[in-house]
Amino acid sequence: MQHVGQAPSGDHIKRRKGHEGPRNHLITFAISIILTILAFAAVSVPGLSKGFVYSLLVLMAILQVLVQLGVWMHLKDRGHFWAILAMLFGGLVVLYAVVSVAYWIWFI
Amino acid sequence: MAHAHAHAHTKRYSGFMDWITTVDHKKIGILYLVAGGFFFLVAGLEAILIRLQLAYPMNGFLDAQSFNELVTMHGTTMLFLAALPILFGFFNYIIPLQIGARDVAFPFLNSLGFWTFFFGGVLLNLGFFTGNVPDSGWTAYPPLSTEFSPGQGMDFYSIGLQLAGIGTLVGGINFIVTIVNMRAPGMTMMRMPLFTWTAFITSILIVFAFSAFAVGLLMMTFDRLFGGNFFDPSTGGNVVLWQHIFWLFGHPEVYILILPAFGIISEIIPTFSRKRLFGYTSMVFATALIGFLGFMVWAHHMFTVGMGAVANTLFAIATMLIAVPTGIKIFNWIFTMWKGQITFNTANLFAVGFIPSFTIGGVTGVMLAVAAADYQYQDTYFVVAHFHYVIVGGTVHGIFAAFFYWFPKMFGKKLNEVLGKLTFWLFLIGFNLTFFIQHWLGLIGMPRRVYTYLDGQTGWNEMNYISTVGAIAMGVATIILLINVIITVRKPKDAPDDVWEDGRTLEWAVSSPPPEYNFKQTPLVRGLDGWWLEKRAGKTAMTPAEPVGPIHMPNGSILPLIMSIGLFIAGLGIMYHQTLVAIGGFGILVVCMILRSLIDDPGYHIEPEQLEGKGVKA
Amino acid sequence: MSHAHAEGNAIESLERTTLEGKNKILGFWVFLGAEVVIFGTLFAAHIGLRNEVNFSVSGADIFSLPIVAIMTALLLTSSMTSVMAIQAMHRHDTKGIAVWLAITVLLALGFLCLEIYEFYHYVHEYGFNIQESPFSTTFYVLVGCHGVHVAVGIIWISLLIGQLFKKGLTVVTAPKIYVASLYWHFIDVVWVFIFTVVYLMGKVG
Repeated sequence: MQHVGQAPSGDHIKRRKGHEGPRNHLITFAISIILTILAFAAVSVPGLSKGFVYSLLVLMAILQVLVQLGVWMHLKDRGHFWAILAMLFGGLVVLYAVVSVAYWIWFI
Repeated sequence: MAHAHAHAHTKRYSGFMDWITTVDHKKIGILYLVAGGFFFLVAGLEAILIRLQLAYPMNGFLDAQSFNELVTMHGTTMLFLAALPILFGFFNYIIPLQIGARDVAFPFLNSLGFWTFFFGGVLLNLGFFTGNVPDSGWTAYPPLSTEFSPGQGMDFYSIGLQLAGIGTLVGGINFIVTIVNMRAPGMTMMRMPLFTWTAFITSILIVFAFSAFAVGLLMMTFDRLFGGNFFDPSTGGNVVLWQHIFWLFGHPEVYILILPAFGIISEIIPTFSRKRLFGYTSMVFATALIGFLGFMVWAHHMFTVGMGAVANTLFAIATMLIAVPTGIKIFNWIFTMWKGQITFNTANLFAVGFIPSFTIGGVTGVMLAVAAADYQYQDTYFVVAHFHYVIVGGTVHGIFAAFFYWFPKMFGKKLNEVLGKLTFWLFLIGFNLTFFIQHWLGLIGMPRRVYTYLDGQTGWNEMNYISTVGAIAMGVATIILLINVIITVRKPKDAPDDVWEDGRTLEWAVSSPPPEYNFKQTPLVRGLDGWWLEKRAGKTAMTPAEPVGPIHMPNGSILPLIMSIGLFIAGLGIMYHQTLVAIGGFGILVVCMILRSLIDDPGYHIEPEQLEGKGVKA
Repeated sequence: MSHAHAEGNAIESLERTTLEGKNKILGFWVFLGAEVVIFGTLFAAHIGLRNEVNFSVSGADIFSLPIVAIMTALLLTSSMTSVMAIQAMHRHDTKGIAVWLAITVLLALGFLCLEIYEFYHYVHEYGFNIQESPFSTTFYVLVGCHGVHVAVGIIWISLLIGQLFKKGLTVVTAPKIYVASLYWHFIDVVWVFIFTVVYLMGKVG
């Protein structure tokens, strides 16, 4: 059921211009490995305060996820408006859930 | 796609097989309406039984256990098996027509969504036949629903709703993709009819809210059946956790119920005022805002659970904020009618009746939002009055309005107007009689979910009695509606394409009922209210956006039915700790999924010659 | 779709050339949004209940970080190999897709076997089963839910490899492979949060 007037598949032309093959993906892989190793290391180093380690772990997790979503799952490429919206909205709902549970457990 | 093999030119199935294998959005829409309508009657009967018990003090009509079961099932059935499926029925039938598409994005999944809902509903109600009916309220708070309900009743709840929820989730995804990707040329998002817009926002809410509920139900299933400790205080679990998860879902759920009604009203009022909708842009933004804010207010159901003043205040303010975009909508409907040429047929009566009814419910909502005051209202009949005003005064009025409005489009003949008006007035009077008085009943202290009450409390006897009379009136009104449907079924199909003559949206540009393929040629949309624009320009049909060509139609499939049966069997297996049965049920599901993936079904084509003079059998 | 091979500047993204393909991809992203909420709710419950050990063992007592590190390495690498499969798809290299997907499946099987061993180890070494405490319940339900997703992914990708051999790379099979790869990355994203929140934070206390 071809649809007249649908957005033309010109994506491939745009992508051709800046597409360097697997380079960005391999860089993402390397970043992920490094961040993972750092996270495991943070837990093994004695003498760090719990709050500091937690913040570090959360930061590295978020960075790794951003880079995987952006590069490996193509969110940085055009034509992903709704996909980004889906992730943002889902993330927002999760933020409410996590923040309210954390607030409730630790402050009430 | 090799053209080597011959394409079929006829549908594979017909008759009864056609209905149970259909992937056509129109047929699936009707299936949803019929199944949802059936459950609506069941839940309505449950309500009447409840009211009969409460008509007199110390009544012995129902014992406490039966009463609790009926209260639970009434709420659960109405919300999950009646209201939402009926709305899905309208979404399914109308949205592809309104956006100029031939079907939804995933016709197979559409069918799967219906059948899982259906079997989930059956599973939920199976308890009536085994004597183990869910009885912990539709909100199923632990520890009542876990530790203190050791029988099978609440298992029917947790697993039945889990199954039905899959269907709802699948439907939500389907409508989002359909609306984003399959609009006709020229139909930008801001040229979509408001019913489609509200369906879109509703679907987004469904996707995110029902997922949370699915997890909550999973946790409850683990606690009940596998020794889990999520909600078990004796080992360190927390019952408030359920409340948070449930209301994180539960609040968006009520917006899921009301937003489509808003959309329906926004279609009907302009049509019967012969005037375009006032403030289209603000209506769209108000809908989006209501949907978004709907996720931020869930704890207003938990003001009295001990979250503390700060949390209570934040949620109270957020709740009151929602009144603003809602108010904008109310004013826009009124301004639409202002100086219009209004026709008061049954559909419009229900639509206009919606406005004050829903508004009353809305303002009591703002009253409830005042956290400090809520300590007095919580768990009294004041709350019952509030939510029935918004749900019955809102969603149900919207459903009845939509039913009279779109029935001729779906079945080719208008419902009887005399009976329709009788239904409307009887229902309006009955509804207000039942629930208006419950505001006072709550304020003088009658608690919710009590199966009886003592004699001699000033006002209780009279108010409860009047409330019951109203319920009977609503029952009679519904029966009249059923009679209306039955006698209309016998009438010949005589409705024109543009049934109400003033149709503004694309569904009125095709025949009543539409052909199987909806549009012979995909229409070109030139603005908001595309069909109205074409009529104003003197045209009698939509400008086509493509030449006449063969139309590719999908084949039906029996797999969704079988998959749903498989899940139903698996659910029973889990409930009764029969591992082999559960594995068997899931096995059926997996085999069907594999078959679906491996076997390519290219569908069939309707050739242009068959399209001449709309000669194709729908 | 032989004309796709005709010119040098061929259609790279076969998966988006049909309406069905575009629908599948968008639909899958919406589904992933729902999955975010599903796992997020499970995470929220875990964060709330992780300290309730019911006088039994805690995460710090029993978690084996070496096993978790190996599992992470396997899953991360499998996510990378699925990227390579998509790269092969954009080069229309059917055999390459199959090879990379097969490696992905093997790595995933390794992950799953280790996880099953890990659970077995906890149950038999420490008596740490699902009824033990709220902590144990949320642990097994959250991590187990992820494991089930991995298992489903393994079956799904294996079936796709089969389809690739039978039908080749077409506008029908391309979106399926793309979507499966999205699913696989998402599973790895969830794992990042699991090893951070459940295991590493659990070890810290």
